[in-house]
Amino acid sequence: MLRFILADLGRLKAGSFVVVLLIALAVALGTGVTLQERALRLGSARAADRFDLVIGAPGSETQLVLSTVFLQPAALPLVPGEVLAGLQDDPRVAWAAPVGFGDFHRGHPVVGTTTRLIAETAPGFAGGRMFAAEGEAVIGARVDLALGDGITPTHGEIGHDHDEVRYRVVGRLEPTGTPWDRAILVPIQAVWHVHGMEAGHGEEAHDHAEEDHDHDHGHAGFDPDAPLAEDWHDGETPDVPAILVKPASIADAYRLRQDYRVEEGTLAIFPAEVLTNLYGTLGDARQVLAAVAAAAQGLVAAALLLVTITHVGQRRRQIGALRALGAPRGAIFALVWSELFALIACGVALGLVLGWLAARLLSRMIADRQGFDLPVELAAADFAGLGLLLAAAALLAALPAWMAYRQSPVASLRGQA
Amino acid sequence: MPDLHLSGIQVLFPGLDAPALHIPELTLPAGGRLAVAGPSGSGKSTLVNVIAGLERPSRGRVLWGGTDIAALSESARDRWRGANIGLVMQDFHLFPGLSALENVLLPARLARVADRAMADRAGELLAEVGLTRPGQKVETLSRGEMQRVAVARALLRQPGVIVADEPTASLDPANAAALGALLDGLAQRTGATLIVVSHDPGLIARLPRRIALAGGLIRDDTERAA
Repeated sequence: MLRFILADLGRLKAGSFVVVLLIALAVALGTGVTLQERALRLGSARAADRFDLVIGAPGSETQLVLSTVFLQPAALPLVPGEVLAGLQDDPRVAWAAPVGFGDFHRGHPVVGTTTRLIAETAPGFAGGRMFAAEGEAVIGARVDLALGDGITPTHGEIGHDHDEVRYRVVGRLEPTGTPWDRAILVPIQAVWHVHGMEAGHGEEAHDHAEEDHDHDHGHAGFDPDAPLAEDWHDGETPDVPAILVKPASIADAYRLRQDYRVEEGTLAIFPAEVLTNLYGTLGDARQVLAAVAAAAQGLVAAALLLVTITHVGQRRRQIGALRALGAPRGAIFALVWSELFALIACGVALGLVLGWLAARLLSRMIADRQGFDLPVELAAADFAGLGLLLAAAALLAALPAWMAYRQSPVASLRGQA
Repeated sequence: MPDLHLSGIQVLFPGLDAPALHIPELTLPAGGRLAVAGPSGSGKSTLVNVIAGLERPSRGRVLWGGTDIAALSESARDRWRGANIGLVMQDFHLFPGLSALENVLLPARLARVADRAMADRAGELLAEVGLTRPGQKVETLSRGEMQRVAVARALLRQPGVIVADEPTASLDPANAAALGALLDGLAQRTGATLIVVSHDPGLIARLPRRIALAGGLIRDDTERAA
């Protein structure tokens, strides 16, 4: 029977190929959407994993997450320096570190922060050491620079150069699979000095990411050899775009968020929570795409049904001859069903592979551009879905098989209905 | 080998007033060799379809031995036909992509009765009908060779009855004569009942009994003295 099916499919190579391809594309669409959405969810959740609590100035919660977790350039309002000083002395806080951005180097964000943040969030050094002076920099795993290279930051992605400022790369971090792998990390005090920021003189709504930025700031305060001071005191700390806080306990995390939400001039968020809200939106989009994919699969199924019913009609004489020669009706049903189901199963398998490859390719493209990994993983639910699809295919294949089963052998031989 | 006994057969087609076939009585003893002749539309094919269980008559009984196949269900008739009737058709109905040997075995395989012994027998039958390359794909055979493969297929399950519907109609005279001789010879050697529908005078002349149909009725039934 298998030989007969193979010989039959062999005779109809081109048609079989088109049918398999059609099914594969429809299945790949559905699989790709599901896998990519899950990858985006997993990847962004991992990126936010180490960001327990973020405190910024009042504004968009989503923007605060995008700027701190994903390092997306945007104009963030600043938090007063006293907030940072206060957090540092708060017993509910394990550690708090400022995050200052706005400068770039060859498209890589230059992020001002502290040695504590790097020590707490990075898995370790792939080479070199931590920065120890104002003019030193540590680079993420995806930054294409070598130890000892010099960096002159640009204000904004294509803004003016900070000509007199030069950092030296002293360390490279192990990969984290987050957008921070694309960052160049420098001491926050260097960022303050480069932008001429002093305590109490923070620029309101500092337009860091804007292209045409023309404010007058000398780099007079920047001294590449100055030692680092990472202790902050009231009245001496310049303003910062965001503060990353590691609370001492979960209860403290909620209390801190409550306090800094209520307080005027600050906004406190759990990035994971903000992301969960975003996933809600993402989930809606996925449902729309999944519906489109399902509709495509339905269309292909309908087209396939039409093709096979026509095909069975054209092979009436062959089917009749097999019956006349003594092949039982059950065998005819099995032949037609197996042949069709084999084509569909091939298409589904190929579609699964295509969808997976497409999701992988897309993930790699996003990882190259955004710096964070989007893990493409198959889940048990995917196989359950495929099982359902195959069950539907089995039913679909049964219709032409049933028609073949019902054909009278003599009418088939005569070529009549 | 069963005797054939038709009684009170009528086949009516929708839209036609007169029956396409009306045979009050016809008997053929086991091992008999019968030619069915008559012009197109005279009911020849309908008769062999009824005899082979491909078509159920509107009325009457088709008794093979003690079995009235007209009373069997479609599936039961399929099984009965597979086991008892070797069918040879005008258009061969071989399946391209398969070898001659695979074609001979195909119906038996689909009926799940093919075993090693049957596969050996298929090879022997192909040799007997004069096919030297059983592994050759059927679409590369000549028409004469194709019909020989069809004859081998019909004989595989050692049927008690061989029914051939215009077996020589699409062959040239030389091949037609050879095939006629082959069919007749095989039927005589195996003792199978042979029923042949044909326009071919050479083939008709080979068989001892001949019935002529016209308008669905038997107009003539002659038996040559042995």
